[in-house]
Amino acid sequence: MTKYLQIELIIERMAHKRACRVLESAGMTGYTVFPAMAGYGGSKRWSRDTDISASADMVSIVSIGDEDKVRNTMDEIASLLGAHIGIVTLTEVEVMRPGRF
Amino acid sequence: MDVAISTLLSPIILFFALGMFAALLRSQMSVPEAFAKGLAIYLMMAIGLKGGVEMSKNPLTLDIMLVLLAGIVLSFLIPALAYLLLRLTTKLDQTNAAATAAHYGSISIVTFVAATEAVRLSGLDSGGHLVAVAALMETPAIITALYLASRGQKRSEPVAGSEQGELVREVFLNASIVVLVGALAIGWIAGEEGTASIQPFFVGLFQGVLCLFLLDMGLSAGRGLRQGWRQLTAAIVGFGLYMPLISAVIAAGTAYILGMPPGDAALLITLTASASYIAVPAAMRLALPEAKPSIYLTLSLGVTFPFNVTIGIPIYIYLALLINGQG
Repeated sequence: MTKYLQIELIIERMAHKRACRVLESAGMTGYTVFPAMAGYGGSKRWSRDTDISASADMVSIVSIGDEDKVRNTMDEIASLLGAHIGIVTLTEVEVMRPGRF
Repeated sequence: MDVAISTLLSPIILFFALGMFAALLRSQMSVPEAFAKGLAIYLMMAIGLKGGVEMSKNPLTLDIMLVLLAGIVLSFLIPALAYLLLRLTTKLDQTNAAATAAHYGSISIVTFVAATEAVRLSGLDSGGHLVAVAALMETPAIITALYLASRGQKRSEPVAGSEQGELVREVFLNASIVVLVGALAIGWIAGEEGTASIQPFFVGLFQGVLCLFLLDMGLSAGRGLRQGWRQLTAAIVGFGLYMPLISAVIAAGTAYILGMPPGDAALLITLTASASYIAVPAAMRLALPEAKPSIYLTLSLGVTFPFNVTIGIPIYIYLALLINGQG
C-alpha cells in the first residue's frame, strides 16, 4: 500500500516562490500557501503588522505526495532552508482520493 | 527653530508619534494591512504625479540632470561608508554589515513625503525632479551592498528554487518604483491641464491620507522596535542615529557644489539621510538571506525612520538654508 506524506514548510514569504518551484520541479501535484499571522523564533516575536515591506512575513506551505516523491524534495528543501528562515515537518497522512497525488 | 517646532507640531508628525506611542504601550489599535498598502500606493501616485506636473512646467536642464546624477552617485557611495562604519564600530559580520549598509544608501519614500510637507510648511519651493531623484536612489545602494557582501567570498551555489532574474525584478520593478516612476511619467505627459480633473483626489486629500499613513507607520515602527530591540546593541543603535547625520552632511556638501536652492537641497539631504524599509529589506531577503532582518529592519524602521521624521527633517531643512546663506 502506498504511503503518503504531508510536507509542511513554514518559510519567509520572500522565499515562498523558491519553495513552490522546488515542489513543482519534484513533481508534487499540488500545494497550498497560507499566510501566517504572527509568531516567535530566534529570540524575536514577529507579526504581519510590524513590517510594511512584508519582507519579514512568514507563510505556511502544505503539500501531500507519495513517500518517494516527498523524500526526493528533501535535499533541495534542506538547501533552501539553509539560506532562509523556516522549518519543515513531515507527517504521515491518509488520503481519500489517492489518484490525485 | 520655528521650522523645527512647526514640523514637530504638524498633525502628520503628531499622528506618527501617536502611532508609535500606542505601539510601545501595547495598544491593540491597528490599520488593516491591505488598507495600509492602498494608502502607500495612493501616496506614491500623488507624489509622482505632483513631481511630473512640476517637471512638465520647465525644460530638462543640465542642472537637473546633474542633480539626478548626484542622487545616483550618493546612493552608490553611501553604503560603502556605512559598511566601513558598521565594521569599525559594531560586531556585525560582513553579510549583516553589507545588508544594513544597503538600507542607508537607499531611500525612504515616506520620509521624503514627510519632508516635502515640512519644506512646504517652511515656505520653501521644491522642484518636481526630486521625485525622479528619489526613484533613482532606491536601487544603486543594493548593488554596492551585494558587492561588499561578496568581496573575498567564494562564489556560492544558487539557493534551491531560485530563478534567474527574480532579484532584478524585485529590485527594479518593485511596487514603489513602478508606481512612483509611472505616476511621474503620467504627470509629465498630462501636465497641469491634463491632471486638473484628478487634482481634488490627489492634492485635496493628500495631507489627510498622509496623517492616516503615518499613524500606521508609527504603529509599525513602534511594534518593530518593541519586538526587535533585543537584537540591537548600543553601537548599532548609535549607527542608526549618527549615520543619517553623516549622510546629510555629505548631501549638503553636494547640494552646495551643485548650487541647489534651499527647498531642493533639503529634499536631496533628506533622501540621502533616509533609510529604506520597503524595497531594500525585500531585496535583501532574496539576495542575502543569511543576513538578519531583525537587525537591519528594526534599525531602519524602528530607529532611523522615527529619528528622521521628528528630529532629522528640521535639521536637514536648516542645513539646506545654511548652505544657501540663510541659516
